[in-house]
Amino acid sequence: MPLEGIRVADFAWVQAGPWVGRFFANYGAEVIRIESAKRLDWSRSVPGGPEITAGGKVQRGAYFVNFNCDKLGITLNLSLPKGIEIAKKLIAISDIVTDNFTAGYMDRIGLGYQELVKVKPDIIMVEMPVFGNTGPRRTFAGYGTGIQSAIGLNSISGMPYRRPGLNIALPDMGPNPTHATIAVLAALHHRSKTGRGQYIELAQLESSLGWMETTIIDYTVNGRVRKPQGNRIPHASPHGVYRCSGEDSWCAICVSTETEWKSLCEAIGNPSLATDIRYSTLSKRKENEDELDRLVENWTTIRSRWEVMNILQSHDVPAGVVETGEDLVTRDENYRSYEYYIELPYRDGRAYCENTMLGFSDTPCRVRHAAPEMGQHNDYVYGELLGMSEDEIVQCYVEEVFS
Amino acid sequence: MAVEKILRTEKLKMEHEVNTALEDIRVLDLAGQSGVYCTKLLADLGADVIRIEPPDGDPMRQLAPFYHDEPGPERSLYYWHFNTSKRGITLNLTIPTGQEIFKKLVNTADILVETFQPGYLDSLGLNHEILRAINPRLIHVSITGFGQAGPYSCFKSTDLIGQAMSGILYTTGFPEDPPTSLGASQAYHMVSANAAIGALIALQYRDLIGNGQNVDIPMQGTNLRMSEMVPFTYWVSGRNRQRSGLEYYRMQRDNFDCKDGRVICSALGGGGAEQMLNWMESEGMAGDLRDEKYVDVIAAMMGAAPPGRGSKRNVNQRPPKSLKDYPDEIPHIEEVWQTFLNTHTMEELFVGAQTRGVRLMPVNNVKNVVEDIGLKERNYFVDVSHPELERIFTYPGAPYRLSETPWRISRRAPLIGEHNLEIYGEELGYGLNEIEEMKKAGTI
Repeated sequence: MPLEGIRVADFAWVQAGPWVGRFFANYGAEVIRIESAKRLDWSRSVPGGPEITAGGKVQRGAYFVNFNCDKLGITLNLSLPKGIEIAKKLIAISDIVTDNFTAGYMDRIGLGYQELVKVKPDIIMVEMPVFGNTGPRRTFAGYGTGIQSAIGLNSISGMPYRRPGLNIALPDMGPNPTHATIAVLAALHHRSKTGRGQYIELAQLESSLGWMETTIIDYTVNGRVRKPQGNRIPHASPHGVYRCSGEDSWCAICVSTETEWKSLCEAIGNPSLATDIRYSTLSKRKENEDELDRLVENWTTIRSRWEVMNILQSHDVPAGVVETGEDLVTRDENYRSYEYYIELPYRDGRAYCENTMLGFSDTPCRVRHAAPEMGQHNDYVYGELLGMSEDEIVQCYVEEVFS
Repeated sequence: MAVEKILRTEKLKMEHEVNTALEDIRVLDLAGQSGVYCTKLLADLGADVIRIEPPDGDPMRQLAPFYHDEPGPERSLYYWHFNTSKRGITLNLTIPTGQEIFKKLVNTADILVETFQPGYLDSLGLNHEILRAINPRLIHVSITGFGQAGPYSCFKSTDLIGQAMSGILYTTGFPEDPPTSLGASQAYHMVSANAAIGALIALQYRDLIGNGQNVDIPMQGTNLRMSEMVPFTYWVSGRNRQRSGLEYYRMQRDNFDCKDGRVICSALGGGGAEQMLNWMESEGMAGDLRDEKYVDVIAAMMGAAPPGRGSKRNVNQRPPKSLKDYPDEIPHIEEVWQTFLNTHTMEELFVGAQTRGVRLMPVNNVKNVVEDIGLKERNYFVDVSHPELERIFTYPGAPYRLSETPWRISRRAPLIGEHNLEIYGEELGYGLNEIEEMKKAGTI
């Protein structure tokens, strides 16, 4: 596995943070997730979130099981001085420290970067304070749903006639965990050349702004405040989601070039449409887009979404089923072929986890095991890695250092 | 080669007087829209990214928006935004002379990023095995819609299709509308960021072991993460997650109007209801919400929202009663909350709630974002000079701040063929006459 030999002390919690450690764990690093029952991870207990079946009943915590695959798990109480002392011992034998606490938290408990370099001079530390460590908002915090509205994503998504809102938490899943991982990997490369570690500050608001495409320069250069456009984009037509036969059944179709436009007309059995004066160029198609969309939908609406995709793709026209969860799990051949999700043993039942998505030709990796139980690897980490004696370990349990 | 590389690195250092994390890494950039953010990420971390365009210019240069809305190959803001810090050359890969030059470039490169349909490079005689034979240390990142070998590998994809076939699209928007996509090509960003992770993991392995490899990056697979476990929900419950408009998972509305716009926050600040009620009371805006009859429902609302600083929930406490038990009280509470919000601006509510530990956020548009005092204070935005236009423009800044090897935009996007002489002449050693011949033959 490509990251074998790297050790990560993973203090992150909830979603955006643990996914950084998950990337490292999935591709071979030894990632040690540090938890405490005194400050339980939201993802172990979230009400209303997805659930798992185990012990013959439905339990909370499916998020945690998925977010922490392939990691080791220990419990450590960071509100006690002895907890901090042991955390430092673990950091002294680690390469990377991750956390996503509010700004300054690690400094306040004595685990700030300045302290960590004393025990591990080449440590790479990444922290993810939402608004950064400095500036007037540094004490503020938030979740993905709020961050995506603060960066303006809500204001450019959705149908033009709707209130701007998104019922997902994109920054937690997209920009923030991926950017943090990229920054740490770049820092690892720098360390392998120079022997020097470093501190990485990922302000989640700023990181997420990196995914606003041209929205920002279109404003700073042209003064345009972009608005929601539904499923349309300026440089393609037809481009949208079209109703197919069956209840709530849809297929996306995206025509970006004149070749694709001609192929679409052939595929829907109407080749003369390609030269129709109303649709013969992109700008014409944009002018008559409502009418054009109706024409396309007349063809899709009497066919199943899979039929629409298969016919159009066989004509080299980009088209894709708007897949439901059921479509993905039971009908999508690519999903099954790549085993994009994997069933893993968990407690006395099974868990369903996202698999690895990066295909390395020489160092292939697949998700190996579900998330650890709380403190599952205390013996290995405290005993074997840190060399604590059985007596010391028992004493730590008694003093609630491991709770 | 090694000496050349050290010289190049030294030259870069002298030019900019900062270390960058990837300054010793050369990337060949053959990425279309699905991968161009990947190479931007590497370029802004200091890699020497060489963007390779066809002799008549990259089709990406035709993408809107344009500078002052006037189309032109050097005026695409799309091209500008995604090609910062890169150098640019023209090269015709479809003819043998172009392929020979490309092989020479491969010999100098560490990473190749491309987004061709599977099999296309093979048809040019440039498949992975051939490139690897030229340069065993090459990390070859292939970004596609559906992977190199799966049943849909010959399918074409786009950003919207990436969102459609990973379960995000079905679940975003309102139940009475068609599925509605996220703006700003999120599927392309997601696959690009994953491709950068793939490239850098392979680089870490190469730093230890010495070999390059091929990295297969499918847009569909990487985008499943953004759908927030849509397949999972079906697997567990047999139910399809549905579009729910403004309601997030926890079944509470969290999108409200205020004096000059909108804010995101569940009613009364969810877990921070106590603090918000105090604030409302201090302005005489709490209505009757301190009455006994609201104690239970407000407690349930506090538990139903994500635990912020104001939350008291922990592992030992029983979960709160369901909000469904209070069909009459919730609308009234939301009404009082709305009346309070109407008396304040987004900024007042944002600052007022956050300083009380409640995670309220403004629903910004891009103007609000660019004028945000928090981002200004942190110097988030960066100025990029476009000398040929004699103008400086403001670009989005660093997604991360590395203390030793800072992120930076080292130059604006390259003009068509801007670095042909520098790269073909100075670096590959072609003479001026040869370069002229290559131009005439349509090779570059």
